Amino acid sequence: MDRLTRRETIAIGAGGLTAAGLIGQPAHAAIPVANVPMPKQPIEAGATLRVIRPTKFVDPDETIWNENTAKFTKATGVPVRTDFVGWEDIRAQVAVAARTGAGPDIVAGWANDPHLYEDKILDMTELAEYLGKKYGGWGALPLVYGRKHGTNKWLSIPMGCGGGALVYRKSWVNQAGYDKPPNDMDKFLDLCRKLHKNNHPVGWALGNSQGDGNGTATWLLWAFGAYQVDDAGKVAINSRETLAALKYSAEFYKTMIPGTLSWLDPSNNKAFIAEEISMTSNGVSIYFVLKNDPKTAAIAADTEHARLPGAKGTDYPEAANTLNAMAFKHTKYPNAAKEYLRFMMEAEQYDPWLTKCLGYWAHPLLAFDQSDCWKIDPKILPYRDAQKMTHWDGYKGPISSAAAAATAEYVLVQMVASAASGQSTPADAAKEAERRLARIYRKA
Amino acid sequence: MSDIAADNTPVVESEGPQLLSWDSRARRIVTVYIPLVCFLIILLFPFYWMGVTTFKPNSELLNYKDNNPFWIRNPTFANINKLLFETDYPRWLVTTMGVAIGSTILSLLSSVLAAYAIQRLRFRGSDYVGLAIYAAYLVPPSILFIPLAQVVYQFGLFDTPFALILTYPTFLVPFCTWLLIGYFKSIPYELEECALIDGASRLQILRRITLPLAVPGLISAGIFAFTLSWNEFIYALAFISSTENKTVPVAILTELVQGDVYHWGSLMAGALLGSLPVAIFYMFFVEYYVSSLTGAVKE
Repeated sequence: MDRLTRRETIAIGAGGLTAAGLIGQPAHAAIPVANVPMPKQPIEAGATLRVIRPTKFVDPDETIWNENTAKFTKATGVPVRTDFVGWEDIRAQVAVAARTGAGPDIVAGWANDPHLYEDKILDMTELAEYLGKKYGGWGALPLVYGRKHGTNKWLSIPMGCGGGALVYRKSWVNQAGYDKPPNDMDKFLDLCRKLHKNNHPVGWALGNSQGDGNGTATWLLWAFGAYQVDDAGKVAINSRETLAALKYSAEFYKTMIPGTLSWLDPSNNKAFIAEEISMTSNGVSIYFVLKNDPKTAAIAADTEHARLPGAKGTDYPEAANTLNAMAFKHTKYPNAAKEYLRFMMEAEQYDPWLTKCLGYWAHPLLAFDQSDCWKIDPKILPYRDAQKMTHWDGYKGPISSAAAAATAEYVLVQMVASAASGQSTPADAAKEAERRLARIYRKA
Repeated sequence: MSDIAADNTPVVESEGPQLLSWDSRARRIVTVYIPLVCFLIILLFPFYWMGVTTFKPNSELLNYKDNNPFWIRNPTFANINKLLFETDYPRWLVTTMGVAIGSTILSLLSSVLAAYAIQRLRFRGSDYVGLAIYAAYLVPPSILFIPLAQVVYQFGLFDTPFALILTYPTFLVPFCTWLLIGYFKSIPYELEECALIDGASRLQILRRITLPLAVPGLISAGIFAFTLSWNEFIYALAFISSTENKTVPVAILTELVQGDVYHWGSLMAGALLGSLPVAIFYMFFVEYYVSSLTGAVKE
């Protein structure tokens, strides 16, 4: 294949970008930007790219993404094809791509994916440092998911964090004697008991659900200071803190609507919209489904969001789903791949995408705190800070295949569910989880 | 001649089936009709649920307090409209049909030849070969999809329907072969011996004698292969990444599940429309299917 020299490529790339009006312009007006030189990533001649990412949250997620991609093609001449894959299904495609060296050049996948395939993906350090310097630095969570554990090497470019804040009915919480849900866990339990007494039970998923079920378990554990493994990756689940969390979960479960043991990801959405529950934790999807349907607009007006209780200062016990983009080494066009990711993360493209996603994704780069996205509707503000969460999948050990396996096997949520429902004592549930985690981490 | 026939009393036949002396209507209700009704409810309820959900508006779907979950107050075509006109569903349906038919034909062809060879040529070790082919059926597809992906990629078939048409026989051929071995076994060998004496070749015997007698078995294997190909998920997910090349089971999930928001109405409409071809296929050939499983050709 004929390859252009670096100088020629820069000239062509710059020409294309200028022609498209993409350089020499300030970034989106509201976003503070530092003057940082762009990384030198001359695009290879004849480059084409193939991207896969999870399917849209809301229609603009896909529409604006595709518009930005078309802008990139227009500016650089690099055709890019994006395919959207089901949320639960993207991992199988990533595994195939990684093992076979076939398929997409770029995967905007889930948080821990790059850590599972770190020997098969491109180093993103230069690009990540450029973006961090230009846009006010990375949030705490993208720093964890983007970099190899314990190093400054970037494996991926985190593109968005989907928060799982508290979603509640304001009038019912007020009726229970609280202005808003308290941060203190005991007071929060008191609120849940009062809501239950008023026939407005709460509902948290305790079934084998990837997002909400695991989110319930990690929230309860982290709120009490428990964790599955220590810094070195040694199993540490059978602890005093875990027992406290499990005892709490047994009391908490009594305030829930029946059936939460079998709840999957859509269950709490349905129950909240049907006014069967007064409070749950979720992404912003419940609110927008309510808001967009005239028949449920009144419920939307009474719906509020807040941080999950149990925070200690800025140490929030929340998990956030992170869209984490990586480029495979098998790509023939590594520079084009990196350039595409840079282009998509620049404010001119990123801010419209973020804004139109209505809070489904929160920005990983802190300068976007100023985005118009967070001024549209004050009710979605709790989702703005998803990137500031301080706990991750497999906390507080390295992100590894073992951590991913523990999540995939629902070890924590099954432990919480069995203790909450009384199927096991807290001590037995913790012991069983310890046994399972020890097996998973030993195998890895 | 019996006494009854001798006195020329006209025999009046009742319209319904004759009850035996130990039988009674109450006994029949308990032993036949109630189990039958239970069986029908269990069998048909998923289809009923799919149908009801397809035509329900979201407001009824999400609120069981004020609405009967088993009935529709205000039926709507919005879910079908969304499925057919806002997604590529018709195209996915055509792709799925093509993949299912292609892999079924390929599997039947291979299975007929394999089963005939194992059952009739009786070469040394043929029993073990038959056993080995069936053992291959026990390997779960979730273990095979990554090695198969490498093969698919080497052949340059990645992200094309041929990736599925050629990989589905890996799990279809073993079962179809095993099923056809059993069916060929039920066809009298003497028929073939006569043909051999008349000078027919093995292929002629297969084409003119064995296959016409084995039609129920072929249909049974065909239905099995078609249904499995139609519903297959893991290979379709792993080997196809373009939206337009996806098959129905994978595509409707991608398109109609957005995060934790499930478009249940359209999902059920997709499932209902997707199950129709298989149901129609069964409807036409169910007698052959049953006869092949019970053994139709007797010596």
